[in-house]
Amino acid sequence: MSMDKEVTKYAIERVKFGLLSPQIIRKMSVVEVTNPDTYDDDGVPITGGVMDKRFGAQEPRQTCPICNNTGMTCPGHFGHIELAEPIVHVLFAEDVYNTLRAVCHSCGRVKINEDKKEKFRKTAALYKKFRKDVYNLYVKTIISKAASVSTCPFCGAHNPKVVFEKPYSFFKVVDEEGTLEDMYPNEIREILERIPDEDLIFIGYDKDVVRPEWLIIEVLPVPPLTVRPSTQLESGIRSEDDLTHKLTDIVKINTRLRENKESGSPALIIRDDLNLLQWHISVYFNNDLPGVPAAAHRSGRRLRTLVQRLSGKEGRFRTNLIGKRVDFSARTVISPDSNLSINEVGVPVEVAKELTIQVRVTEHNIEEIKQYIINGPDIHPGANYIIRPDGRRIHLSFVQDRKALADTIAPGFIVERHLKDGDIVLFNRQPSLHRMSMMAHIVKVLPYRTFRLHLAVCPPYNADFDGDEMNLHALQNEEAIAEAKMLMLVDKQIITPRYGAPIIGFGKDTITSSYLLTSQETNLVKEEFYNFLSILDLDTLPKWLRSRYTGKNMFSLLLPPDFTYSLTAASEIEPEVIVKKGRLTKGVIDVASIGAEKADSILHRLVREYGNDFAGDFITKLSKILDRYLISTGFSIGAHDLKLPKKITTKIMSRIKRALNQVNGLIQKYERGELEATKGLTVEETLEREINNILSKARDKAGELALKALDKDNPLYIMTISGARGSSLNVAQLTALLGQQTVRGERISRGYGDRTLTHFKPGSKTAQARGFIVNNFFNGLSPTEFFFHSMAGREGLMDTAVRTQQSGYLYRRLVYSLDHLLVDHDYAVRTADGRVVQFKYGEDGVDPARSDHGKPVNVLRLVESISLLYPKGAAASTEYIDNKLQKIRNMVPESLVKELRDVLIKKKANRSVVREAIKQAVINYKTSTTDPGSAVGVVAAQSIGEPGTQMTLRTFHYAGVRERNVTIGLPRIMEIVDARKSPSTPTMTIYLTGRFAKKEELAEKVASKLIETRLRDVVTEATIDIVNRTIMFALNPEALREKDLEPEKILKMFTKKYSASLKDNYLIIKLANKSLEEIKKYRDRFLNRIVSGVKSIEHVTVEKEGNEWVIYTSGSNLKEVLKRPEVDHRRTVTNDIFQIYEVLGIEAARNAIIYELKKTLEEQGLDVDVRHLMLVADIMTRDGVIRQTGRYGIVSTKESVFSRAAFEITVPVLKNASLRGEEDRLKGVTENLIVGSRAPVGTGLVDVYMQIGERRGRKQ
Amino acid sequence: MLKKDKDKLILEHYMVPEHIILSEEEKREIIEKFAGGNPYNLPYILATDPVVKELGAKPGDVLKIIRVSPTGYKSIYYRLVVRR
Repeated sequence: MSMDKEVTKYAIERVKFGLLSPQIIRKMSVVEVTNPDTYDDDGVPITGGVMDKRFGAQEPRQTCPICNNTGMTCPGHFGHIELAEPIVHVLFAEDVYNTLRAVCHSCGRVKINEDKKEKFRKTAALYKKFRKDVYNLYVKTIISKAASVSTCPFCGAHNPKVVFEKPYSFFKVVDEEGTLEDMYPNEIREILERIPDEDLIFIGYDKDVVRPEWLIIEVLPVPPLTVRPSTQLESGIRSEDDLTHKLTDIVKINTRLRENKESGSPALIIRDDLNLLQWHISVYFNNDLPGVPAAAHRSGRRLRTLVQRLSGKEGRFRTNLIGKRVDFSARTVISPDSNLSINEVGVPVEVAKELTIQVRVTEHNIEEIKQYIINGPDIHPGANYIIRPDGRRIHLSFVQDRKALADTIAPGFIVERHLKDGDIVLFNRQPSLHRMSMMAHIVKVLPYRTFRLHLAVCPPYNADFDGDEMNLHALQNEEAIAEAKMLMLVDKQIITPRYGAPIIGFGKDTITSSYLLTSQETNLVKEEFYNFLSILDLDTLPKWLRSRYTGKNMFSLLLPPDFTYSLTAASEIEPEVIVKKGRLTKGVIDVASIGAEKADSILHRLVREYGNDFAGDFITKLSKILDRYLISTGFSIGAHDLKLPKKITTKIMSRIKRALNQVNGLIQKYERGELEATKGLTVEETLEREINNILSKARDKAGELALKALDKDNPLYIMTISGARGSSLNVAQLTALLGQQTVRGERISRGYGDRTLTHFKPGSKTAQARGFIVNNFFNGLSPTEFFFHSMAGREGLMDTAVRTQQSGYLYRRLVYSLDHLLVDHDYAVRTADGRVVQFKYGEDGVDPARSDHGKPVNVLRLVESISLLYPKGAAASTEYIDNKLQKIRNMVPESLVKELRDVLIKKKANRSVVREAIKQAVINYKTSTTDPGSAVGVVAAQSIGEPGTQMTLRTFHYAGVRERNVTIGLPRIMEIVDARKSPSTPTMTIYLTGRFAKKEELAEKVASKLIETRLRDVVTEATIDIVNRTIMFALNPEALREKDLEPEKILKMFTKKYSASLKDNYLIIKLANKSLEEIKKYRDRFLNRIVSGVKSIEHVTVEKEGNEWVIYTSGSNLKEVLKRPEVDHRRTVTNDIFQIYEVLGIEAARNAIIYELKKTLEEQGLDVDVRHLMLVADIMTRDGVIRQTGRYGIVSTKESVFSRAAFEITVPVLKNASLRGEEDRLKGVTENLIVGSRAPVGTGLVDVYMQIGERRGRKQ
Repeated sequence: MLKKDKDKLILEHYMVPEHIILSEEEKREIIEKFAGGNPYNLPYILATDPVVKELGAKPGDVLKIIRVSPTGYKSIYYRLVVRR
């Protein structure tokens, strides 16, 4: 953009979708293309060709003949091609078909009776306005209704059946035999022209922007050259854009068709030309049509035409509109620096000299800026450009005398100065899975060429230093800087919104160090102690310190003097950690106290109670001390640390031997056929399970022995026990044995025929032959063991690769389903277009990021700390407490009132404590509520999507002991949010009433009666007696007894409709007058009859839960099971959300979604705040039906066309939007990003208005 | 033997919160307060929903739902009964 021109800025308010009429296309065209050639021999564009100059100026020096702009500013102009024959628009072919079916071909009216039309029109108008989703369905039903009528109710004309052959051929059925006759676009167009405007609403057209005949192209717009620029290859040959290629083809065929038509060529030739033109134009729109040969270059590369340009990951929407390239950014390798504060980022001087910030010269900063100019582009705190008030830019490296230039500077100049210490920048590491992946840091310019960051900020970025690179963005205006500083600075992000606990904290070496520093025996030398003290900037030392320079005291000096807390440490050495009035009196500080991603740690308490600034400072200072301490004490690990004493090794060896012997015994027993199967399992499965049990027990025992054998000062031990790194399993694998290797959760069984490797005997089932590794990493593995280990390792790698893909897609779907959800000014959550999703965010209005692990107030902690302040006084009466609580009822959620009451009574709080606690609780609650404008949807999507990568892909998991297995982890989450009709492993938990719950035998009986039993299950033989026309079923008395069935009962089932009788254990059914074939069919049908139990209940197990017997099933049928009188209909549940929806309604389905999501995440050990899950469940069930988080579900209900188009199925979305005359009002996030304006979210929701002129209201 | 009144069963299930049909006046108030006067801005519940059938609510009614909330102890939700 040229700087000297006055630029008026417009903001896009809304975008209306529609179609261009042929008239408009002609009107906006500046050139009719008639010549298929591009350039003449001199390389000049041919007038009337596809490269005509009037399409717009391309070169900077070229002026446009239409608008007189140069290449830089000319927007380009459309041309057109007059088609010799109309052509069907491929993208709309399906819509043309539907219209042709619904409409009378002679009078053009929609074939619905006049008397019904008025009512339909009203309903359609209502739906079109308020219920877009229902309108679409409504149109569909009207079309199918009208299509079934062949005689027009208006003009009485007979309408032929229309046949549509994808992608663009139409035929009509002309006689009874079904003979097809071509329908040419010309004929179709005439029919469409007859449709009256007032009937368009029935068939989905918006009469204000679309006429159906426009779907048949008679004039084709030709886009300007800016859309299809030609490129100059190195060899100097011009290469044209794919669209240009296709356009020349179209012009060529079009000319030929016209000439043939005019010269009166045979119809056959004309038809061939017409088909060819149809193909060229169709492929010009979409070169990926099913059943149509794709247009390709000579090289065989497929052309990228209009549809391909827009859709998919590499399409315009996802690569250029949603993801935009930015200036003022830098990227390099990262490395750690614990001398920085957690808020800082080390920036290389080279980067600082390249990234600039615009500063306006004022009286206050003029001297400083002069120095920058003098320093110039090459000396660090310098400047690269000056922008004079007249808009001229001066590059300082071209200025000879910068000192002289500096003197000419005056207020009003703008200087682009280097990045310097104290500037605020954004720092980011991909994949940006949650909002803590992009945080604001304070610049610290440093030598060398890497970005430096503090170790404690690695967890939120998920960064390490094995070559990771990160991005940095320099903020360009005061508004952005202020917002970043207030909202995005690292210390503001210590608590994650995912679960309301610190995500920033210590890990690895710092934990080791703090463990060593604060352990009982650590005493520091005075000098060392004071050296560390210098980090703390303390003015005075507390009295209690005297001259006891212990590690614990060192740590205590960092704590606030009034801080009191206790928790259980991770390590067993001093499990109880007690901090009293700012002194660590007992316990070792390990992960449980200061670790990252740990709730209720000392760090967590500090952030909550002393604020983010304090906590940030605490982390910075403590890590300096811990680093220095670890350097001074030294900490290393070597091979000798992995060697166990001989005595222990022998012990472990003998333990393993014993297990191997046991396994061999078991195998022998199996081979002799003496092994008995556990209920619900085959003998093989039983064997596998037993072997696994024995071997895993052996490894656990060996690991235990190994860990116990390690010295207390063994580094392996220290790291494991303090939680710095490694688990007891790792220790066991290093020192004792690796144990069983598994592939797909089973012992390794695949390989050469019936053995895993040729080193073993065929069919061998021994431990070693199936991947049990008796060696450890220290001793090294045998070749076969190494191979098995590699197999398991490879599976792990595959798993990770698949998982990242799956969870990435899940995440994307969640984001697009939730990104338009905002907290409104009344704390209700609404979609961008104003539909309510929650009446109060999270049902209590609390922001998880401001909560204490999900709760607005940590009541217990509050009451305890206030009690310390007001120690005197008798316990307040319950009435007093209730009375006080009554006053705050309307201010805080009921749950908080209840908890306060319970805790105050339990802790015997006195009146002062009661008063103060209630007051503080209200304040705490109010400060923990969300802000209007919060993008809670995106945060919810992040909170579920981010941990997705950490979930297992292992589908099955044996719940309980027997055959019941359930889908878990990522696949289960996907099943739930996809709203699949039935889960892959449906199960029920059936509670029983009264005595059935008390006695196992009764429960078992109920359970066995639930199993789906068909006649075939209780019959040994079914024979057909052809002579007598009867079927005889030989009943199996044993099976009957098991199911508690009598033969008479079964007989009764058949006597109603057939003549059936019983004769010594035979069920005989007579089917007179039926052929043999028919009887055979009847036999199969009868065999499939359910004679007992509930349909689709396959297995049942009875287990004790608490003090009652409960039935677990595989297979689910809530409706039928609830009808059983023995079943407790209040508590019985299923994991099939759709069944719950059908039987118990939408609200129960919502509860089920929340419950299932929560259960699945918890099982994976992932902590996610319920509020996020509730939001997902609420949007999924908002419309009274369960909608999936995907293109046909929630995304399809979004108002914004752009947002839907950016997600998936781009072109159909745009196509339908134009037919429906939809409007994008740009209220959500995605659509504003696309048009390039600020989204009305968060701070973007607020605008400052100034009232100009008098305020009339005041004066009166 | 226990006899079950089939119809009332589902309302007693612990997963089904209490649904109450709002009076015309309450309904108007809620629509004004939360939906800006347009009832279609409220969440919906289908007229074919088992609970709606049980209560005998008609399309156009607004149901008040008293949810048992994991965060707020009890919370109120509203749904407009719609045909589809």
